[in-house]
Amino acid sequence: MRAVWATYLRELRAYFVSPLAYVVMFFFLLVNGFVFAFLVNALSNPAAPAGPPMTFFFGGITLLLLLILGVVLTMRLVSEELRSGSIEVLMTAPVTEGQVIGGKYLAVLSFFLFLWLPTLIYAAIVERHSEVDWGPVAAGYFAVLLIGAFFLAIGIFASAMTSSQLASAMVTAVLLLLLLLLPLLGEVFTGEGLRQVLSYVDLNEHLQELSRGIVDTRRLVFYVSATLFFLFLASRALEDKKWR
Amino acid sequence: MIEAQSLVRRYGDFTAVDGISFAVGEGEIVGMLGPNGAGKTTTIRMITGFLPPTSGKVTVAGKDLFESPREARRQVGYLPENVALYNEMRVEEYLAYRARLEGLSRAETREAIGNAVDRCLLTEVRRQILGTLSKGYRQRVGLATAILHRPRVLVLDEPTVGLDPKQIIAIRELIRELGRERTLLLSTHILPEVELLCHRVMIIDRGRIVVEGTPESLRESWVGNPGLRVTLKGAPAEAAEALGQIEGVLEVRSLGEGLVVEHKAGTDVREEVFRAAVERGWVLLELARERATLEDVFVRLTTHDTAQESDSLAPQEEVTA
Repeated sequence: MRAVWATYLRELRAYFVSPLAYVVMFFFLLVNGFVFAFLVNALSNPAAPAGPPMTFFFGGITLLLLLILGVVLTMRLVSEELRSGSIEVLMTAPVTEGQVIGGKYLAVLSFFLFLWLPTLIYAAIVERHSEVDWGPVAAGYFAVLLIGAFFLAIGIFASAMTSSQLASAMVTAVLLLLLLLLPLLGEVFTGEGLRQVLSYVDLNEHLQELSRGIVDTRRLVFYVSATLFFLFLASRALEDKKWR
Repeated sequence: MIEAQSLVRRYGDFTAVDGISFAVGEGEIVGMLGPNGAGKTTTIRMITGFLPPTSGKVTVAGKDLFESPREARRQVGYLPENVALYNEMRVEEYLAYRARLEGLSRAETREAIGNAVDRCLLTEVRRQILGTLSKGYRQRVGLATAILHRPRVLVLDEPTVGLDPKQIIAIRELIRELGRERTLLLSTHILPEVELLCHRVMIIDRGRIVVEGTPESLRESWVGNPGLRVTLKGAPAEAAEALGQIEGVLEVRSLGEGLVVEHKAGTDVREEVFRAAVERGWVLLELARERATLEDVFVRLTTHDTAQESDSLAPQEEVTA
């Protein structure tokens, strides 16, 4: 546990001293700010569809933002150690691959959550002018956490496979895009069974569902197990490095 | 303290280490010598647990490196060939991180950092950012992390590579100091380093140990007959023959302006050479013992020239003093 905690603190600190983190933070808040301003504008039009504003906030480009964060925040995590060679002193310390991946993962997840923190202001702003149903808002953030956690796990897996940050970013981007485009298969093939399977991995639908306040345990199980699976793969990938 | 049993490591078809076995006793300082690409780093990586061997076994302080890796690794302090640090951290922060990674408690960490900073002369740079340190200081930070958790075994891979002469002396001094209380395995291709620091040497070539022993015994057994360097004023032509007559002299060769007089081991022909010179009225400018160095042993054992290999025990063409 000490090793996980030590790794966690080091990685988290590394985020806050790297310029990349501030660039990401800047653009992330800029984009979210625009989205929110646009929503407020659109929804104050009497012809706008009815519904709580925060539900709309988690629609639109949220998945795209999550994809970008999944790529950018994780690409450095393991790749950099493989490139610089610091992995050598790290893995000769009395720690396991799992602990290293675990510590790094918790750090990126924390930073990810930190990025979303300021967006709570939007809910507070809406609250001042109209009613906020906090249940669905909480569920919306929960969806962001679940999907984000899954994406970051895929990202750290890609990062553990290569010493090139660029390659890591590409692999993550491709995997995540495929994942997001998977539901389109339902448009091409019309089998009922396939439809059903696809709905299990239709991230957009999950996000919509959750931001309306519907928490389905099947989704929970899907994301948690998929996340753990990729973390497991990541630690195996790191271990595999030794054998070649 | 360290025991390696028939270690083999292959990378695909290439065999980097081909059946290396050795043991390093408590408190010993053992040097691992070899040309670049001989398999030193691969061997060291297997001993520190970074690379699993293709076959073979390593135990450190009685703990098997692959059955109980964490206990075994705890006993080892490791300075890799390329000291990679996290450039954005400060020296102290980095040491604290490493100490926690080694499993030290908060109180132990504070004490360990104080000790390591003192020993490795890092006091002036404790607050400095790692990315701004010179190569010599980085090396010292690497050493500091290696001794942080007070390991019983230290493994250093090319500790002085890339340093300037002053830094080399400082690091060597530090290594010698550290070697007083610990078992030390040191890899290098710098020969004087081994002669200065090590009790025992193994020479590795093409993935195998070609020879092992104390620096003195290696010199004695591998560099043919003792020789004398004799320089006479005007280099009289008949000198070679005259000196060849002396009892115990095996061969006289010319080397530069002087001669090399090889004689049987255990005999001392200096007096005879002097007399011969006086009798014939030659002026003796130089009379010195040729002392073979480890370098000669090294070159002899790791040069893959068929001619040389076939008569590897014959005297060398040129013996450097």
